[in-house]
Amino acid sequence: MTNPKALSISRLPLAGVAILWTAAYAAGLHYFFALDWQTAGIDSFFFNLLTLIALVFLNGIISYLPRSAIFQIVLGVALVFAFSSQWIAQQAVRQLIPDTTYHDFVNQSMPVRWAIGFILLLASGVAFVFYTRWREIAEAQARDSDTRLLAREAELYKLQLQLQPHFLFNSLNSINALILIKPDQAREMVQQLSDFLRLTISRADEPWISLSQELAYLQTYLAIEKVRFGHRLEINVQVEDSIKDFTIPTLVLQPLLENAIKFGLYGTTGKITIQLIAESKDSTVLIKITNPFDADMQPSARSGFGLTGLQRRLYLLYARNDLMQTTQGNDTFTVNLIIPPRS
Amino acid sequence: MIKAILIDDEPLSREILKRYLIHFPQIEIVEECNDGFEGVKAIQQHQPGIIFLDIQMPKINGFEMLELVNPMPPVIFITAFDEFALKAFEANAIDYLLKPVSEDRFTKAVQKFLDKSTQPAATTSLLNAMSQTVSQSNRIVVKTGSKVKIIPVHDIQYLEADDDFVKIVTAEGTYLKNKTMSFYEQSLDPHQFVRVHRSYILHISQITKIEPYQKETHLAVLKNGQQIPISKTGYGKLKVILGI
Repeated sequence: MTNPKALSISRLPLAGVAILWTAAYAAGLHYFFALDWQTAGIDSFFFNLLTLIALVFLNGIISYLPRSAIFQIVLGVALVFAFSSQWIAQQAVRQLIPDTTYHDFVNQSMPVRWAIGFILLLASGVAFVFYTRWREIAEAQARDSDTRLLAREAELYKLQLQLQPHFLFNSLNSINALILIKPDQAREMVQQLSDFLRLTISRADEPWISLSQELAYLQTYLAIEKVRFGHRLEINVQVEDSIKDFTIPTLVLQPLLENAIKFGLYGTTGKITIQLIAESKDSTVLIKITNPFDADMQPSARSGFGLTGLQRRLYLLYARNDLMQTTQGNDTFTVNLIIPPRS
Repeated sequence: MIKAILIDDEPLSREILKRYLIHFPQIEIVEECNDGFEGVKAIQQHQPGIIFLDIQMPKINGFEMLELVNPMPPVIFITAFDEFALKAFEANAIDYLLKPVSEDRFTKAVQKFLDKSTQPAATTSLLNAMSQTVSQSNRIVVKTGSKVKIIPVHDIQYLEADDDFVKIVTAEGTYLKNKTMSFYEQSLDPHQFVRVHRSYILHISQITKIEPYQKETHLAVLKNGQQIPISKTGYGKLKVILGI
């Protein structure tokens, strides 16, 4: 719920405008109707005082008024207050200033004063209504974009943390075996797995990373996969030196590589080589990941998951759907990724 | 001596099982396999008393591999992730071990097998339990001679009952599978495959026209010109799906 009070115009600028208006009113009386300064001041003070109090009152109640009848109410309030305040002011100045020419002037000017009071109240009232509406809309929009931002962050976070449980449990199983067979290597793998998990968790708050850092992270991942599939897995990484500092979204390459390894290892039975090439093109970076692939294989249902998640992530980051393309050759599967500079 | 085969694509995973099995001198490991294809071959060759089987493996998974061996040996599943646990138990697997495998747990599983091995392990229901593999994936694995063939379901034209088997007909050829018609009726996508007759399940995209035949029955004409009988109830089902 928004606090209605917060939506009305604050008092201080309103008071400033009121003082200026009262001064201008007095000056008008002095210059155009030849009233002396004292008379003009008293006149202006009384004729405007009640109008301005009505205005402040209107401003205060505006956000509590029922939406459906708000303009009618503003009109009614303007009418009642304009006439009553001007009438009260008329009585007051007649008591205070005993000059009869002035009395005649006041009597003659009453219709104009009523009109001024009425127009002043009505215009301000309408302005208040619109201002309040505008503030409400702006606030709703701000809230809406906040919610969207939060949802987006939550989604990114979830996508980043989509660690494959298979990977974790299989790695633990390998460590379990190594403890019996090669304890030194087991310790090494525990270290690698810890490094990998630490980096995975820490980067959940860090959506951007330099290419070289991401590659270092990938090394820890690959080291683990090499222990598990060392007999079958070969990985070839070629990255142009000039783009090592290029900023890329975190955890974009890892799911791709994971996917390539999964397809390569589970789609074929022999030794496989996975290739990762990164090069600059114009202001972007092109990344190409290739894995062997068996065209006769009908991939089982869930295998495309990594790529869809990534597609979604790239869309959330760059609002583009054309950044990732896959091509399927006779015995290779290639993912081409364009990474635009960070905006 | 009980012959055992280890089927897992990770060497370290097999290594730990080998270590654990040292304490069971009555079990002899006759072969280790890297994938389901090797597994099928080794099982055919050795007729093992027990197999230790990983589920996620290259090309065909452990369940798919089991569909291809006959008779099916007793199985202890060893896998990293427990999404298959229920299915494996329905499959009457002796046991289902999660990676990392503890020696204690492994020993209990093998002991359970040794206690039971006087009576033949009930593996027939395994076939039925594996039914979900078809609906979860979009392929059927068959064996032709010594070769394993993976058929994408969208390549299937129709299925026909053939005694105890189901004939799977594709443009490339016909394959036999030791299953029932009702199994495929349930596991294939009902929006694509309709049981139009007691003996036929049709892939609806193959139909070019439907002609009236004898009283209350019809004939479906397929793209390749072949005619398939449609029973009265089958016609009713087709009408719903095709919206006629």
